[in-house]
Amino acid sequence: MTEPTPKIRRRNARNWHRWLGLVAAIPLLWLSISGLLLNHTAFLGLNEAEVSTGWILKKYNQVPEGDPRGIQVGDRKVSQWGKLLFLDHEDLQLNGNLVGGVAVKNRLVIATDERVAIVNGSGEMELDLDELSLPPLPVEGVGVEGQQLVLRSAGGTYRFSDDFLSFKEAEISLSTTSLSLLEDRARDELESAIRTRNAMPLSRVILDAHSGKIFGFPGTLLTDLAAISVIVLTILGLRLFPKRKL
Amino acid sequence: MENPIIIPSILVSATASKLRSLFFVTALLLSGGSAFSADRVYQKPSDFIRGSLGKIPATKAITLNATQQKTVRAILGKRYKTTSIRYWSVGKKTALILEEVGKAEYITTGYVVSEGKISTVKVLVYRETHGWEVARPAFTKQLEGTQLKGGNQLSRPVKNIAGATLSVRALTKLARLALYLDSIK
Repeated sequence: MTEPTPKIRRRNARNWHRWLGLVAAIPLLWLSISGLLLNHTAFLGLNEAEVSTGWILKKYNQVPEGDPRGIQVGDRKVSQWGKLLFLDHEDLQLNGNLVGGVAVKNRLVIATDERVAIVNGSGEMELDLDELSLPPLPVEGVGVEGQQLVLRSAGGTYRFSDDFLSFKEAEISLSTTSLSLLEDRARDELESAIRTRNAMPLSRVILDAHSGKIFGFPGTLLTDLAAISVIVLTILGLRLFPKRKL
Repeated sequence: MENPIIIPSILVSATASKLRSLFFVTALLLSGGSAFSADRVYQKPSDFIRGSLGKIPATKAITLNATQQKTVRAILGKRYKTTSIRYWSVGKKTALILEEVGKAEYITTGYVVSEGKISTVKVLVYRETHGWEVARPAFTKQLEGTQLKGGNQLSRPVKNIAGATLSVRALTKLARLALYLDSIK
């Protein structure tokens, strides 16, 4: 097979340069503009500015997917939506899947399969108990027996001390309440509260849009392709730089 | 005379369309997976306590009164997530598992305080997308040996890590909190 002549090679390089430049133009413009913004976040006040647009918050799991479920404990509503837990409309900084909640001595005890939170009457979390202070995980049920907290877990049923810091195995038949789907109105109120409270800093959104991560795998791929395009365009540009011989 | 450019034979024989395909396949292979990283679990809290104290003693808790809560707010710049904070003691050693938000997520960190000085620091769970470098011993060793001086400040400064400023601040605040809690337990 014959080797392409310099003229053909030059024409191919020019065609590649032209079309690759066209395709990569918009992503490269975005990368340049967002890069400039990120270099001056403090000056532009981008850390203070917040984004509360629904579809963007969904990317950060701020408005979770799926249906919220909850349980009423006295006059408080404990609910879970996706991985997030809420006490009424407030975030509950607790990991795991909601198992249930009970009132014990003027306190609200909220149990997930891996954590237990003790919340006082003002809604403040008094204790956040993890595997160090709980029976063998996962927690499977929560209840009250004689004004004391009772947990059912993988290892059996356990009665807690009054300060919730120790427990003993007990033979108690624990009746638990199951979670129910939140009604439409309660769901809307919860979503509205999430959007208002969990707005993301604009700088974070620009950073993730700059890297493409906010759009998941396709975004990362597009950013990588734009970066590779710059490398290829540079090489092609250098090849085209020498003046053509007449 | 023009100098010949040496091109691999595979490229010479390839057509323009094949080259384009090669370009996009390479790009696909080089591109990373998506997005927001999962939790980095370095050690379970129970393993940290067992490793630091030799066993897991009975759990105790400090219930912060109003004055103490005010001091904690001064250290952290906000209230701690709970009003009672658990700790574990053996002899002169006190271990605490503390959590603070770096930028958006909690960083779970284990501290051991002995005779008013931090003897061990270990990041147990890192949930942020950026700044996990604070989990490296090269960083945490800076906090070891520090104690509280006036104004609940650390006895020596902690070097920042570029790109992990908020996580560095969170761990430094928690070190001050651990020393303060040890002093009031």
